[in-house]
Amino acid sequence: MAVGPEVYRAVAESDELSSGDVAFLSLARTRLVGESPPGETYDPQGRIPAYPTPALLPLPHGREVALDTLFALVVTHSCEIDRQKNLDASAGHVDCRLTVAPIVPEPAVHLVGSNRDDHTVNWAAIEANEPVASLFLPPIDDVSEFAPGVDSLPWPRSFADLRGLVTVSRGMVEADRLFGLAPDYIGTLQRQLARFFTWRDLARHELVEALIGRRVVDAIPLNARGDRLRVALTADDGSSLTIELRAR
Amino acid sequence: MTRLATILDERNLTYTAVANRAHLQPRTVRQLATGETPIDNVAVGTVRRIASALSIPVAAILEPDVPHPGDATLSRAARLSAAIREVMWSGGPAAYASPVESAEADDIATLTTDEFFADMPAGDGRRA
Repeated sequence: MAVGPEVYRAVAESDELSSGDVAFLSLARTRLVGESPPGETYDPQGRIPAYPTPALLPLPHGREVALDTLFALVVTHSCEIDRQKNLDASAGHVDCRLTVAPIVPEPAVHLVGSNRDDHTVNWAAIEANEPVASLFLPPIDDVSEFAPGVDSLPWPRSFADLRGLVTVSRGMVEADRLFGLAPDYIGTLQRQLARFFTWRDLARHELVEALIGRRVVDAIPLNARGDRLRVALTADDGSSLTIELRAR
Repeated sequence: MTRLATILDERNLTYTAVANRAHLQPRTVRQLATGETPIDNVAVGTVRRIASALSIPVAAILEPDVPHPGDATLSRAARLSAAIREVMWSGGPAAYASPVESAEADDIATLTTDEFFADMPAGDGRRA
C-alpha cells in the first residue's frame, strides 16, 4: 500500500498547475429535474456514484444544475495543461479547462455493491489500486506537512473516483489548491487512467440474462491473452456487452 | 456525525424518546440525526421543537456552514482547513457505489507502473 510521503508533495501558490494537483472545488452536474441516474440516491443498476446533498440551481425547461463541493484531483496531463502556453498563447487565452476526479473520503461513505450489500472490504482492493475506476489516496497524519499554513489536521483514507470526471476552470484549481501528487504516483494515476479508458469490465450476470433471445448483430474482438479472447457483442436492440471466450 | 446525533449520543437518548417529547415522528428525528435529511431542508418549527425537547438553543443543532471554494472572507489556508474538516471528515456515511466491479482483477491490475508503460515509445512524456 502506498503511504503519504510516497504519494503527496507540497505545492506553492505560485507553482505551475500540474496533473495530480488536489484542490477544493465546486463540481457541476447538469441534468433533468428528477432524473435518475444521476441523482442523490445510489443507483444499483447504473452503479452511479451519488454525491449526497448537492446545492441545486434551477434552469429553464425542467433542467437543473447540481453542485457538489468536494476536493478533487486534476487528471489532465501536465503536457496538455501547458500546451497552449508552450505555443506562446497569452495567459488570458490559455485553455481554461481541466478534467478533475472527485475525491471520496472514507468517513463520508459506506461502500455498497449492486445489491446494496456491504462492500467495506473493497477498501483493500482500492488501496492496491485494483479497480480501474479509482486511484487510492492514502491517509496523512498531518496535512500541513504538505500544505504549509493549513491547520494541522489528518487527511482520511480516500480515493479519486474516475467515474465522476468533470471539467473545471484552471483558475478555480489555482485558487484552492491543497497539495499535489509526487511524480512517481502521477505515473500510477496515468496507469489508472489508461486502464479506465481502455479496459471495460466483463458483463454482469443481469446483462447476460437480458441478452437472451436477442439477435447479435455485431461482434468485435477486443483483445486476446493466453487462451482467452474478449469480444464485444451488440444486440439488435442496440444493447451491448463484453464476454470472454476461453479455449478448451 | 451530525450535531444532533452527537447530542443524542452524549445524552444516550433514542430517536423515539426525542420524537415523543417533540411530538414528531421518530423517523423524522432519525433522518435528521443521520443526515439523511439535511437539517436545513426542514421547517423551522420542526427544528425548534427538537431543540425545545432537548432544552438547547436552535443554533446548537444546526450544522455549521460548509465552506465554499473561493470564499473571499477567509484566507486560502483557513478555507482549506475548514474544507478538510467539513468535507473530508463530516457527514454520512452515505451509501456509495463501490468502484470494485468484480472479484477478479484484470490482467493490467498486477503490473507495476514501469511494466505497464514498458512498451511505450520513448519521449511520450508520461511523467511530465
